[in-house]
Amino acid sequence: MIQLLFFVLIGVALLASLLLIGRRGSVRAEGDSGALLEARRALDSLQGGLLPEELVQRIFARDDLDYLSSSAAPKAVRDLFVSERKRIALSWISQVRCQISSLKRFHVGAARSYAQLGLGTELKLACHFAALLFACRALRLAVYVGGPYAAPRMVGATAAAAASICTISEQSLAFLNPVQLKPFANSSLPS
Amino acid sequence: MNSSLKRMDVEQARQDLCRRTLSDIQRPLDRLIYLASMRDYNTGVYHHEGLASRFTEEVACEALADCHREAFRELVICPLHELVSQLDAYRSSTHTSPREFLTAWGRLEPYRVAVPVQADPLSAEFLFSNFKIALAVLESQLDSRPAGLAA
Repeated sequence: MIQLLFFVLIGVALLASLLLIGRRGSVRAEGDSGALLEARRALDSLQGGLLPEELVQRIFARDDLDYLSSSAAPKAVRDLFVSERKRIALSWISQVRCQISSLKRFHVGAARSYAQLGLGTELKLACHFAALLFACRALRLAVYVGGPYAAPRMVGATAAAAASICTISEQSLAFLNPVQLKPFANSSLPS
Repeated sequence: MNSSLKRMDVEQARQDLCRRTLSDIQRPLDRLIYLASMRDYNTGVYHHEGLASRFTEEVACEALADCHREAFRELVICPLHELVSQLDAYRSSTHTSPREFLTAWGRLEPYRVAVPVQADPLSAEFLFSNFKIALAVLESQLDSRPAGLAA
């Protein structure tokens, strides 16, 4: 009786493993294209919307506050300015963090199947991701506590690190770019 | 149509638009509002009869959209003091009383419908925030003026 129970348990365990493997396989097949698209969108959002240097500089530029101080704007206007800039700065940090997390998910899950990254590059990338996500948290805390001008160097470092991750991810996603077909040369046409 | 040929047409149309029309509109804010007014709010398609007759409807639409995005980018990265002076100059050009203008812009926030459709959400939010501050600056300047001048 005990032996029978033992074999039944082994059978159930094997069946459960098979189901689990089967389920993971089907999720992955669907998830891969989703992960690719999500990564592409994250990359576009970072490169096109969040990381352009002039935008980052403008959000965190102190000269706008200096302008308000020098033009003797009332305290209410200066307070409004600081609270608005803080809101935008926190939103920028959150969005950078969110898009970087998307890229990280892509690299952890699907990148190995598509991108020919060496082990060294993958390890370097893992360290970059960890450092950047930590930097985003630290920057968020600094801006939340000290306002939009609390950590200008950290802003620059975060933007630079995010740009560097984008460059590596760009290589991983390069195969998604449309192929530039060269027009047929006349010489290749039959004469 | 071949995409590179089409891109060349759009570029030519864009230059044509800049030379004939936009060169007379110096300030990015005025250009943004002008170009937004060329867009059908129901379809998001830009219309410009003159440009469409010289090129095609499609090419004219893309050229207008390009210029709209360009004006938006310029405005997003312009310093606050420039936005304040552009807003004040735009107000003057409408011949509206300052108080009336500031009240209407503060309540209706018309700048929200003036941004290009594909604008990055954070950039758009940043511009809206700057408009809000610029309006507050102009209002404070108006309040500090003598009553006769403020009317």
